[in-house]
Amino acid sequence: MLQAVELTKRYEDGHLALDSLNLEIKPGEIFFLLGANGAGKTTTINLFLNFIEPTYGKLTINGIDVVKQPLLTKQYVSYVSENVMLYGNFSARQNLDFFARLGGKSNLTRKDYYNVMRSVGLQEDAFEKKLKTFSKGMRQKVGLAIAILKDADNVILDEPTSGLDPKSASELMQILTNLRNKGKSILMCTHDIFRAKTVADRVGIMKEGRLVMLRSREEFLQDDLEKIYLHYMQEAVMFDDANLNS
Amino acid sequence: MIWLIAKKDFILNLTSSRFVIGFLLCLVIIPFTMVVSVDGYENQMRVYEVDRAEAQKKWQEIKVYSAVRPEIVKEPGALGIFSRGIENNMGNSLILRLGEYPLLLTGHAGTRDNPLLDAFFSIDFSSVIAILMSLLALVFSFDLFTSEREEGTMKLVFTTRVSRSAFLIAKFLGIVITLVPILLFSFILSTLIVVLNPSITFTSVEWIGIILLFLVSILYLMVFILIGMTISALSKKSSTAIVVSLLSWVWLLFLVPDIAYYSSQSVSKISPYDNVLYSLDELDREFAKKTEEKWDEIQTQLGIDGVGHWNWNGGADGYDEMYGCVWETNEFHRRLNTWREPMRLTYADKKWAFQKEWLDGLQQQEHIRQVMSWLSPSEIFQQIASTLCRTSPASYLRYMQRIREYRETLIAYFQGKKLFESFAYFTQQDPKSFLTIAKTQEMEAAGVFDTENFKVPPHWEGSYYSPLNLDDVPKFGIPKQNHSEALNASFGLVVGLIALGTALFLVVISVFRKYDVR
Repeated sequence: MLQAVELTKRYEDGHLALDSLNLEIKPGEIFFLLGANGAGKTTTINLFLNFIEPTYGKLTINGIDVVKQPLLTKQYVSYVSENVMLYGNFSARQNLDFFARLGGKSNLTRKDYYNVMRSVGLQEDAFEKKLKTFSKGMRQKVGLAIAILKDADNVILDEPTSGLDPKSASELMQILTNLRNKGKSILMCTHDIFRAKTVADRVGIMKEGRLVMLRSREEFLQDDLEKIYLHYMQEAVMFDDANLNS
Repeated sequence: MIWLIAKKDFILNLTSSRFVIGFLLCLVIIPFTMVVSVDGYENQMRVYEVDRAEAQKKWQEIKVYSAVRPEIVKEPGALGIFSRGIENNMGNSLILRLGEYPLLLTGHAGTRDNPLLDAFFSIDFSSVIAILMSLLALVFSFDLFTSEREEGTMKLVFTTRVSRSAFLIAKFLGIVITLVPILLFSFILSTLIVVLNPSITFTSVEWIGIILLFLVSILYLMVFILIGMTISALSKKSSTAIVVSLLSWVWLLFLVPDIAYYSSQSVSKISPYDNVLYSLDELDREFAKKTEEKWDEIQTQLGIDGVGHWNWNGGADGYDEMYGCVWETNEFHRRLNTWREPMRLTYADKKWAFQKEWLDGLQQQEHIRQVMSWLSPSEIFQQIASTLCRTSPASYLRYMQRIREYRETLIAYFQGKKLFESFAYFTQQDPKSFLTIAKTQEMEAAGVFDTENFKVPPHWEGSYYSPLNLDDVPKFGIPKQNHSEALNASFGLVVGLIALGTALFLVVISVFRKYDVR
C-alpha cells in the first residue's frame, strides 16, 4: 500500500511542487494520477522513491515511513520510468539478471528470465541482444519485466505508455491488470486518459501540486472523465496564458 | 550488492572502447619507455665499469700516502630504470681529496652522447605510469555518475535496496578492478623487459622496491579515480565533467610541477656558485700565504736558504712524491706537512662553511619545490617512486653525506698512523739512505755519483719502488641496501597520498549524498 499524508514539497528555488497531497493506493488497486506537465505527478513519484525528501508530510509504503527507512521501503516497490534506458551494452537478459540480483533474487535461471520477457511480449530473438539495439517500446518491456521480476507489493509507473505503439500500450495495460489481480498496488502517472478509462480503479487529477479531483471507477465511468480532465487542463492553459499576458 | 555493481561496471568497462585504447596505449608506450630506459642504464653501467677500472688502476699505482685520492664512482642502481629521479642531472664520480669536502659528484652525467638530441622528450617508467594511469583513471571516472544519471539507470538502481555509499564504493571498486589489471600488466611487461636482459639482475631488496612501487601505483591510481569521481559527483552533465577532468589533469600533471619549480626559485634565491668559488679562492690564497711563511720559518729552523729537489712530483692539493732528495729537503717537507696538512684540513672546514651554505640553499629550494608540488598527486607519486628507486635528491644527498663521512674516516686513519708527520707521506725512500747536503757534495766530489750526468743510485728514482700496499686504508662503501631505509624515507609521502585519497573519498561521499539522481 502506498500512502501520502499532507505531502508537501517546496524546491530550493521556492517553487511549490506539491501542496498537502493526500493519497492512498490500496493493495489490488490501479490508481491513475493524471495532470498536465508540472502538476506534481513526477514529484510525487520521486518522493515515494526517496529521490527527494518532502518539505512536510508523511509518506509510507506498506506502512513503513519512506523518509525514516528509505532502504527498507524500497524492497516493497518497483518502478518503471518513462524512458527505460538500462545498460546498452548488456543484453536484455543480462539487464534483468543484474537488477534481479540487486533486488535480492539471485537464484533465478535463464529460463525464468525468458519467461518474464515472454510475459511482457518481448520477442524471443531479442532476449540475448544488446539493449542499445532496442526500440523504446522494447526497452519499456524490459523495464516492465524488471519490475515484474522484483515482485514487489507496489508498482510505480511514470508515463509508461509515452511513445509506445497502441499494441504495446494495450499489452502493458493487460500486464498491469494481471498485477492488480495479484494484489499489487499500482500507481501510474500519465496523460493517457484513454488507458485510465480502460483499467484504472481510481483516478486522481493533479493541478499545481494539489489533487483537485478524485474519482472511483464507478464515478468516473458515470461522469465524462475526458471532459472533466480537459476542464482542469483548460483552466491550467488559461491560467498560463493569463500569466503570459500579464 | 557492492560486488554485483562493481562486477557489472567491470564487465561494461572491459567491453568499452576506452579500455581497449588504454590497454593499447600501455602496450605501445611501456615497452618503448623500458627499452629506452634499459639502454640508458646499460650506457651508465659501461661508463661506470670504465671509470671504476681506471680508478682501481690509479689506486694500485700509488707509491706515497700523499697521493691517496680515492676516486669514488657511483654505481647506477638497476631501479633507476623505473624511476630516473635526478640521476641524469648529476655526475657519477669524484676524486676525494683531504683538503676539500666532497660537494657534488662530477664526471659523466646521464646526458646524451649527441647534445643536439637533448630536446628529445624522454620519460621513465614512473613518469609513464603517472601520466597514463592518471589519464585512464579520469577517463573511466569522469562520467561515473553523470552517465548513469543521463541514461536513467541510476534511478532504477536506487529503487532497490542499494544505499548511496554502497553504490559509490561499488563504482569505485568497478574502476579499480578494471584498471589494476592494466597497471599490473604494465609492471609485468616492464619487469620482463628488464629481467630478460642478461646484463641486469635485481637483488631481493630491488624486487621489494618494485613491489612497493606497484603498491604505491595502485594508491596513486585510486587517488585519481577519486578525483574523477568527485568531478563526476559535482557535475550534472558528462560533457561538463570531461572538460573539468581534462583541465584538472593538465593542471595537476603539468602546471603544478612547473609552477612549483619556478616558484621555488623565486621564493628561495641562491647565489651563483661562482660567488662561492670566489670565497674559496680567497681562502686558498690565505692558506698559500701562510704556507709560504711557514716555508721560510722551517728553512730558517733547518739553516738552509733554499729547498732543492732531485726527483719531485707534486701539486697544490698536498700531493708530494720525491726521491733522492737530501736529508734537509726531506726533513723540510716532513716538518712542513706536519703543519701544513692539518692546516689544510682546517681550511677545508672554512671552505665547507661557504659550500654548505650554498648546498643548504639548493636543498631549501628543492624542499620548497617538493612541498609546493604536493598539490599534485602525480608529483607525490613521482617523489615516492624516486625515493623507492633511490634516485631522489634525498638519496643523492645521503650518498654525498656518506662520502663526507668516509673522508672523516680517512683523515682519522692518516692522523692515527701519524702519516702527515712521516716521510712515508711523500717518499718511499728509506730515511736511513737520506744524505745530508754536505755528505752529498762530499760523495759527488769523490766521484761516488755524478748528479750532473744523472749517474745516481737506483733508489733515487721513483720507478725503483713498488706501489704501496693500501689494504689497510679504509675503503668507501655504502651499507648493504635494505628496503626499510627507502620505505622510511617515503613513509611520509605515502601517508600523504593515503590522506589525500581518504579526504577525496570523504568529499565524494559528502557530495554524492546530496547528488540529484533524477
